[in-house]
Parts: sequence; C-alpha cells; structure tokens
Amino acid sequence: MQINETKNEGLSREYTVTVSASDIDARVDTRLQEVGKTINLPGFRKGKVPLTILRQRFGKSVMGEVLEAAVNESSSEVVSKNELRPAMQPKIEIESFDEGKDLVFKMGVECMPEIKEMDFASIELTKYKAKIEESEVDEALERIAKDFRKSEPVAKARKAKEGDVVVIDFKGSVDGVEFPGGAGEGHNLELGSGQFIPGFEEQLVGAKPGDSLEVNVTFPEEYHAEDLKGKAAVFAVDVKELREYVETAIDDELAKNLGLDDLDQLKSNISERLEADYDQFARNRTKRQLLDALQEGHDFEVPAGMVEQEFDSIWKQFEQAKEAGQLDEDDASKDEDELKAEYREIAVRRVMLGLLLSEIGTKNNIQVAQDDLNKAIMNEARKYSGQEMQVMQYYQQNPEAMASLQAPIFEDKVVDFLVEMAKVTEEEISVEELVKDPDEAESKPAKKAKAKKAAKKATSKKSASKKSSAKKAAAKK
Amino acid sequence: MSWKFLNKKPLSEERKYQVILAPVITEKATMGSENNQVTFKVATDATKPEIKAAVESLFDVKVKSVNTLNQQGKVKRFRGHIGQRNGFKKAVVTLEAGQTIDATAGV
Repeated sequence: MQINETKNEGLSREYTVTVSASDIDARVDTRLQEVGKTINLPGFRKGKVPLTILRQRFGKSVMGEVLEAAVNESSSEVVSKNELRPAMQPKIEIESFDEGKDLVFKMGVECMPEIKEMDFASIELTKYKAKIEESEVDEALERIAKDFRKSEPVAKARKAKEGDVVVIDFKGSVDGVEFPGGAGEGHNLELGSGQFIPGFEEQLVGAKPGDSLEVNVTFPEEYHAEDLKGKAAVFAVDVKELREYVETAIDDELAKNLGLDDLDQLKSNISERLEADYDQFARNRTKRQLLDALQEGHDFEVPAGMVEQEFDSIWKQFEQAKEAGQLDEDDASKDEDELKAEYREIAVRRVMLGLLLSEIGTKNNIQVAQDDLNKAIMNEARKYSGQEMQVMQYYQQNPEAMASLQAPIFEDKVVDFLVEMAKVTEEEISVEELVKDPDEAESKPAKKAKAKKAAKKATSKKSASKKSSAKKAAAKK
Repeated sequence: MSWKFLNKKPLSEERKYQVILAPVITEKATMGSENNQVTFKVATDATKPEIKAAVESLFDVKVKSVNTLNQQGKVKRFRGHIGQRNGFKKAVVTLEAGQTIDATAGV
C-alpha cells in the first residue's frame, strides 16, 4: 500500500492511496474461501466448490465487498499512520479500479483542530441571583386566591352591575324562529366578562332578580356559526338570581384548601417555585457568559466541513421557517446574502463551541452517567402525562433518541465543570433585569446560536435540530 | 468395414450445436479437469466422432479421445402414475496436452 500526501493546508489533508492488485486478489481469494464453506451450488456438496468456480460465480460481488473493506482499512491506516484526528468521516473518492489493476483512491480528511485550552480560572463570570420581591409572592398569592374565589348571592336585592354574576335562563330567536344552541337555563354569566355576544351583557346591567326582559343583539360578522352571522336576534331572558364575587381572604384557610398546612407554607412554596424558575434564567445567563468567554479565549481553525454541515442544517431550518411564514422580523428585512453570512457566523460559533466543550469534556473525563440519563428520560416522560410508559419505552428502544438526550446533559456537566473553575462573582439583581435578554438589541442570531449550540456534540450531530427546539422551549419557560 | 468409416461427411454448422448441449459442472466433472478432461452433456444420438469434431471446431482445440456414457432417466411416480424422466448422454472429452476449454464460459 502506498500513501502519498497531495494536500496539506490548514486542517484539510488529502492523500492518494494505492493498493496493489495482488493484495486485493489475495483478499478476494481468502474471502471466497470463507464464503465457499457455506455456499450451496447444484452439482457440488456443501463446502466442496472449487475456487475457480467460486471465482467465476461470486468474484464480482465479493470484489465489491473486498474493495470496501480495503478502502476502509487503508483509510484508517492512513489516519493512524499520520496521527490524524479526523473531525468528520473522511471523503473518499475512488479514482481507478479494474480487475487485475491497482486500486487507487483519493482521501480527503478534515482534522480536528489543535485546541489549546485557555486558563479557565481566568474566566470571570457573574452568577445572578434573582431577588424574589415580597410583592411578587403576594401577586402570585392573589392569583391563586382569584382562582378560588366564590360567588355568593347578593344579600340585599339591588340592580345588577358590572362584575356581578347573574343566573339566567335565556332563549334566543332570529326572526321569531328559535335557533339551536340559543337557549340555556341557570347559566352563570359574569357581566363584563365578554363571554356572550357583545351587547348582551351590557343590556343586563341594571336588571333585578325576577326580571324578565328581552335583549336585542346583532351577531357579529365574524361569528363562528355561518347562518347567524350579522343577524339580529332577540333573547328572552329571565333573571333568576344575582350573585357577586366574594374576595377570598388570603389566609390559612386558603392554604388548607390547597392541601397545605398554613399560609406561611404556601408562601414559601411559592417563593421556592419562583426561585427555581429564575434560577433557570440565571443559569442560562451565566452559561451564555461562559460561552462568550470561551469563544473569546480560544482561537483555532474550525473544520470547514463541519461548519458547512451546520450551516446547511441552519439554512434548511430557515427555509422551512420562511415557507411557514414564521420569519423573525429583522430576518425578513434582510436579503439572502446578508442572512447567509450571518448564519454562517453562527454555524462557526456553534461548531467551535461544540468542539471545545466536547474536548474539555473528554480531557477532563466528564461522563454522562446512566443515572443522569434516567433522570432526563423521566423528565421527558413527565411532559407527556398519560403516556409516560410509551415515552420511556421509546427511549429504551431508540439508542439514537437516547443519545440526543445525552448531549445536553453532557454539555450541562461541562458547563458546571467550567463554572466551578472560573472566577465567579455573585450578584443579586431584580427579576426584571434577569428575565430581560442581556443583548436583545445587539444580536438576535447570537441568541439562537446559544439556544442551539447545545446540540453540537461530536457524538450526536444528527439530532441537532431536534434538541435545539427543545432547548428553546426550555429557555422560554 | 464398419459404418463409421463410411460416414466421413464433415459436420454441418447446425449439427455441431445440436450435438453439444451444455457443459456438466459438478464436483466429479471438475475433478476431470486435472487430467485435461472436459465433460459435456450431448445429444443422445451423438457419436464419439461427431462429438470430437464438434468440440474441435467449436472450441478450437485438439481432442485426444472421447468417452461417452448414457445416463438413464429416473423412474418417478407422480400422483400414482409412473413416469420416466429424460435421460441424457454425457461425453468426457480428453484434450491433447496443453489445450484448455473454459467450460463454464459458454460458447
């Protein structure tokens, strides 16, 4: 076997490899002999077919097999001999081959860049901690209370006003004819809630229990029922009862209704939940900082092939979004070349960070344990309530899906690892500031990049797009 | 003087193809290739001189000798009826030293 280096530029290498004909013939023969032991050919006992006949009958197909093996073997030999670290599957182009002639093929490899790790301890990060304001807890409490409010009959007879609940029987007709779905009995209608056709509720304001009145309304043009659109209708309404909402007191009683011991527990529960929510935000922000710092601190050449692949997948997504008419506003206004350049930059960043993280991960022996995976699967399963079993099974049966879960976990672990090494200063900031995207105005694409780059782990490039969406969703929560 | 010395007419082109039917490719037949022998299935009415002439002209080789044998068809029963499979004639052709035929390649 002869190996000639024909190109050596930056990260890309090209080799011309020649495998001699006799080498291949010998391989074919041994392979034929192996196959011959199991072949059934009429006129011959099993395993007794002479080599000449085997060669005539099966030479072609075995040849293909052998060629593939030879190419694979010699290409991996090239890699090991030259101590390459290929970033992607080598590109192999067969130049010439004929029976009895040498096999010549060209092989293009993109090497992994030499990554010089920066001093992680020099990274400065801010760990944000949201201050949960008392008022926020109160707000949440109020929301809960509102969900639990009750309506009670009005003690003193009085006229109905906005915000009250009237219990009514109603019967609607268009041109004197009743229409289906136009009648109801004992309906609880909150005045001013906009539940009914515009105009209906307003006309009930001022009614008293026991009143019967006629309400004249016109169905709006965009009403869902075809035959009622824009028609004038008359509703005969009997007002049965007048109720009003009673504010639920925020007290221990409310907490007990929710299955908790007392108000304090409810409060602490709420603030815990809020904290957890904001922690996620804070974490994302710190991660973002870290990634920015990493990108700044490293400078290495990125394999063009990987960038191309990444770019293609982004572009595909973009095209899909375009077709679906879901373009970002600032994307829509740009022309194609501009966008392409922008997305290419994102692709470079993603590939770079992906390589970097996986490199750091492997160097520091960070591994995803089965425990973590199981946890992730459980989380995933919880999203589909009622179908947990199916989800679990799906992951158990599809190693690929499993790998797609593995990537973000791995990334998280690497990030944790780095955060530990870095100089971290803690800072308390208000919630609004935390939720606000740090550089909303500066660059939207960069945000996307972050959302998606999680995917970029060497082991599971395929699932990139899927994960990114999951990531985005998570970030929004 | 037997009849075969009288029948000296050269084989017609058509008859050559009628005489030689197919190569026999079996373990036994390939064993013969070590002794420079090639085996053919031939027409049941083909004679040794005919086979010799046909092989010589079709494959462009020199034939040393021809041995033939008749393979009787087996008697088979199908749905209670007795039937007879077709038999055939085999010819083991010994070539002169240095001559070869690629029997499996076809004419």
